[in-house]
Amino acid sequence: MTGKIKNYFAGFAEAVRKGDRWTRSSLLLFGAGYIGRGQIIRGILVQLIQIGFIWFTFGFSAQYMMQLPTLGTVQREETFDPATLAKTVNDYDNSLLILLCGIIGIFFILAYILLFFQNTRRVYGLQKRAEAKEHINSFREDLHTLINEKFYLTLLSLPGLGVLLVNIFPILFMICVAFTNYDKRHQPPTYLFTWVGLENFKTLFTSSQTVTFGYAFIRILVWTMIWAFAATFTTFIGGILLAKFINDRRTRCQKLWRSLFVITIAIPQFVTLLLVGKMFGDYGIVNSICSKIGLTGFLKSIGLVGAGLSYIPFLSKPGWAHVMVILINIWVGVPFQMLSATGILMNIPNDQLEAARIDGASERQIFRKITMPYVLFITGPSLITAFIANINNFNVIYLLTSDYVSTNMKFANSNAKEPDLLITWLFNLTNNHSNFKMASVIGICVFLISAIGTLISFARLIKGNREEDFQ
Amino acid sequence: MSKKYIRPVLRHLFLAALVFVWLIPILWLFVTSLSTYKGINTMHFFPTHWTLDNYHQLFFRPDTVANFPAWFRNSMVIGCCCCVISTFFVLMVSYAFSCMRFPGRKKLMSFSIILGMFPGVLSMIAIYFVMKLLGLTDSIGGLIIIYSAGSGLGFLICKGFFDTIPASLRESARLEGASELQIFTRVVIPLSKPMIVYTVINAFLTPWMDFVMAKLMIRSKEPSHWTVAMGLFNLVQRTLVGDYFTVFCAGGLIVAIPISVLFIIMQRFYVEGITGGAVKG
Repeated sequence: MTGKIKNYFAGFAEAVRKGDRWTRSSLLLFGAGYIGRGQIIRGILVQLIQIGFIWFTFGFSAQYMMQLPTLGTVQREETFDPATLAKTVNDYDNSLLILLCGIIGIFFILAYILLFFQNTRRVYGLQKRAEAKEHINSFREDLHTLINEKFYLTLLSLPGLGVLLVNIFPILFMICVAFTNYDKRHQPPTYLFTWVGLENFKTLFTSSQTVTFGYAFIRILVWTMIWAFAATFTTFIGGILLAKFINDRRTRCQKLWRSLFVITIAIPQFVTLLLVGKMFGDYGIVNSICSKIGLTGFLKSIGLVGAGLSYIPFLSKPGWAHVMVILINIWVGVPFQMLSATGILMNIPNDQLEAARIDGASERQIFRKITMPYVLFITGPSLITAFIANINNFNVIYLLTSDYVSTNMKFANSNAKEPDLLITWLFNLTNNHSNFKMASVIGICVFLISAIGTLISFARLIKGNREEDFQ
Repeated sequence: MSKKYIRPVLRHLFLAALVFVWLIPILWLFVTSLSTYKGINTMHFFPTHWTLDNYHQLFFRPDTVANFPAWFRNSMVIGCCCCVISTFFVLMVSYAFSCMRFPGRKKLMSFSIILGMFPGVLSMIAIYFVMKLLGLTDSIGGLIIIYSAGSGLGFLICKGFFDTIPASLRESARLEGASELQIFTRVVIPLSKPMIVYTVINAFLTPWMDFVMAKLMIRSKEPSHWTVAMGLFNLVQRTLVGDYFTVFCAGGLIVAIPISVLFIIMQRFYVEGITGGAVKG
């Protein structure tokens, strides 16, 4: 790794040392080296990129980057002028804008530096080719490589740009917010916020009389893990078994059965979840049916329902709510899993199955030795993604427990409730309580958990060079 | 004799029982949408009086809180655009990662996967600020960008599928002088119809299902600027649910129509054994 970097810079140093006037002048004007070798259009394009960058930095982002260390010093003040009856606002600093644009500015400078090294090396490569009297690509040939050897650049550039815009910048921004005091009392544009170091991380692990974040965090973290495991496991197994069951030769009208399950997917999740939430509400239809057939009374007599309640608290008491969300999630998730498992099951190479059958393997053996390894290979990575997705499963929890009110003061103090996942907790913190700093800290924790878990299992699944096994 | 009949019957009875459990809420949704009582009927499963008025209200009597035709149009536009963009992005990224070999490929893949794990709910706020900077809040274009721009990160499943397409197919195409672009469009894409179906459905569903991001992005109080998800979600808030619950049910059912049509069109492509027999020997 360090050897590679050393090589890289050695190549750069050599380019500077041995470069002729075209190569050296492209240290300053990026396009010069291409134009000097006859690659006019490419040279102009590269030059335009450089000009665009300088224009962006000095015309826009530099002013914000200068203020990054303090995140602004001038607070907004309105002065009312009685003579003209007009309000005038001073030239205030907006911490939010400073942080966001500052990050973008720094990112562009890093990209510029990378381009600088890369460009110099490439121009030097051109010089060497010219000296050896080798062929230098015309613009048309350059374009041609973009759909051949360098096709991946064409493929990845647009999606990469999108990811930069809606993933990388926002993530960098929110990570930075975790180290500031951005909350209800420090909201731009009226107020400034500033850096506070690791203060928020300390708060997250404190449990005292007034600060209960530590208490809530540990409990919610444990529940999130249990939930993610249970939700992933139940829907995965359920989906595969159901797909296998429907695709079995002995099942008639396979398409009909499949379609019946697919109907539940066709109705958007938030509609069905809100609906099911209302059905299982404290005074919902399930409760009135349960009390009619005497189930409520029975559960009361065995102590599962508190004596003071006239209904079954499906989604409003800890314990009950925890079990119900997992059960309802099976209802939501199994048809999806069934559908994707069907696609995969149909794609199992038929020759393998037939060979096994000729060798006298039983159906069960085929399932265990061929079907499952194949399904696991294809869905393995997606199983991890499913686990991560369940850690972040916002909809199910949020929509089903929206009427839940926590009676535990320690939870309520930190704006949490028992069936919350980390993700719904942090959503509540940002949306209803404007506590961005703590939400960011929790977000970073969620991220670390997901990242570590994934890296461990992913390394085993993908890195073991099994990519080509089925190709 | 009896054993021969009992087992298939049991098998189908079991399936029927499962289907029953799965369809009960849908049935309730359907019958409630036909009820004359506007709120949540907590005493009876079936309504006491039946009417089609809720659908009529949904389509022809838009009011200050419910403007279903406009919601539907907005969501349709967003859904179709996202569908196209996301599907292209996912296929492109998957092809690059699965079928091409270039320096830094594995690192980039791991990086994308790690990136995809950052909680979306958290970056939502930041996305809102970025979009505000670009002047794209309160617009359908902004929502399309948000839903589809990051879709390239969801390449894992599709890449797993591309990995199972025999490499010999691509090699033989290359020997016959096809460029990578041609291999991508003429060999790999036609072979991956099930995967495309999966991606298209997912991409189309996202904007129909998401109400959180939409609520955050579209601050307009004018219902005709909302999406279906936002509007319907608004109808079951505590102040409105008593008067609009049946309308909500009717809306939920209507939303299912475009999605079901998509499923039916796409189901054709779930062909058996797509790669079987493509390569001889």
